[in-house]
Amino acid sequence: VSDLEDIVRELGAAAAWEEENGSPWLRPGALDVPHMAGVLLARGARFVTITALPEPEPGSVRLAYHWDLEGRLLTVEARTQDGRIASIRERCRAADWIEREIHDCFAVEFEGATLEPLLLRPGQAPGVGLRGEDE
Amino acid sequence: MSHRISIGPYHPALEEPYKLELTCEGEIVRQAELRIGFNFRAIERLAEQRNFTAAIALVERVCGICSNVHTLSFCQALERLAELEVPPRARHIRVVIAELERLHSHVLWAGIAGKLIGFKTMFMACFGIREKIMDVLEAVSGNRVNYAMNRVGGVNRDIADPAPILAAVAELEREVAREIVPVFTSSRTTRARCQGIGRLSQDDARTLAVVGPTARASGLPQDIRRAAPYAAYAELELGVPVESAGDVLARLRVRALEILESCRIVRQALATLPRGDWRGPTEEVEFPEGTALSRVEGPRGEVFYSVTADGESDTPRRVHVRTPTYANMPAVRVMLAGAQLADAPLIQASVDPCYSCTDR
Repeated sequence: VSDLEDIVRELGAAAAWEEENGSPWLRPGALDVPHMAGVLLARGARFVTITALPEPEPGSVRLAYHWDLEGRLLTVEARTQDGRIASIRERCRAADWIEREIHDCFAVEFEGATLEPLLLRPGQAPGVGLRGEDE
Repeated sequence: MSHRISIGPYHPALEEPYKLELTCEGEIVRQAELRIGFNFRAIERLAEQRNFTAAIALVERVCGICSNVHTLSFCQALERLAELEVPPRARHIRVVIAELERLHSHVLWAGIAGKLIGFKTMFMACFGIREKIMDVLEAVSGNRVNYAMNRVGGVNRDIADPAPILAAVAELEREVAREIVPVFTSSRTTRARCQGIGRLSQDDARTLAVVGPTARASGLPQDIRRAAPYAAYAELELGVPVESAGDVLARLRVRALEILESCRIVRQALATLPRGDWRGPTEEVEFPEGTALSRVEGPRGEVFYSVTADGESDTPRRVHVRTPTYANMPAVRVMLAGAQLADAPLIQASVDPCYSCTDR
């Protein structure tokens, strides 16, 4: 528990961990995402993946960053602004493919990272993979 | 002067479709790039268009080898959403099926690895052994590939009589110990072919966040069955083979030892099979609004599911799947850098890649 509280302090987050269906989630609102990745990696956390959760408002996607800290699955949530968010690839190279996949499937722009060719369905426009034509 | 060699997406050196682009100087690989997506079926999106029960059958089709780990992970997430307790007998049956699946997956991989190393007869020997595991799975579930064993809150079929499974596992263990393990752990030919190639250092394994046998062969003792136990693993003794060399030989050894470990786990789970219910709830289950996460240690490593329900409809609002090959395959770029071109097929195969899983 003290580890989790220390993480909140280091992130400077005005939020507390919430238990949701057996896993701790942190929803700090505004978040420096690369700093969050640096804090968790420095504590020995292993990057697991990012889950993109599209919101009804255009260009708004919640991104749940999942980390394993000594067997505990931690999730820190951030939200895109106008479809954009900072990339964590420079701090966490394991995030390369999942950021590219979220770009392909949900048209999220990851700032600060060189745009690679589409990972899935090469040749298609971004944002079509997991969204219907009416979305 | 460097030259580029493209392998795939359809090539005799690859078991499944993906594209490997190698930049070589002479016979030495200097850089490797990977392209995936040739098996993309938008399964995550399709799961959002089916009811929760139909989505179980859908996620079982993510992979043709480790189909059970997908339904297990998905059902565990749904059970967390609905706050359901799984009966002890069902939890043990889930362990038996998960370990039988790991066994047939590892033995299949051993056959392919044997062929790539040069032990061509190993391929047929391994597939002969694998058939016996498939027979056991068929006897329990009625199916050889998609077992449909998991349901929300329990399992769909009981193991009424463990005796035939115990006998089959005992015979399997003898054959594996005689025919597979020595080739991968003590053969001079295997050592000469696999030692020191395709190396992934512990530091690279950690920063690339690889999982499963690929991580354990680079000295990282991570295993979700022990770190965050699910089903009945907390009640069973579990050894986690770890090697430190990080080369192809280490990955061979870890999987060979895991085959024997899986046999031991199946025996334990059957020997301690509790009496009682195994089906779980018989009435309709409702899923309140929220997100639940679930992890399972599949044959290739950690499988992750995130399932979001809106609390109103009978379909998931969002399903996200992170498969182990998706986490492991980027590390192949590191393993190939500096390798002999002729070793490239064996090095990429040493992570036991599955593109059906990766592309989803």
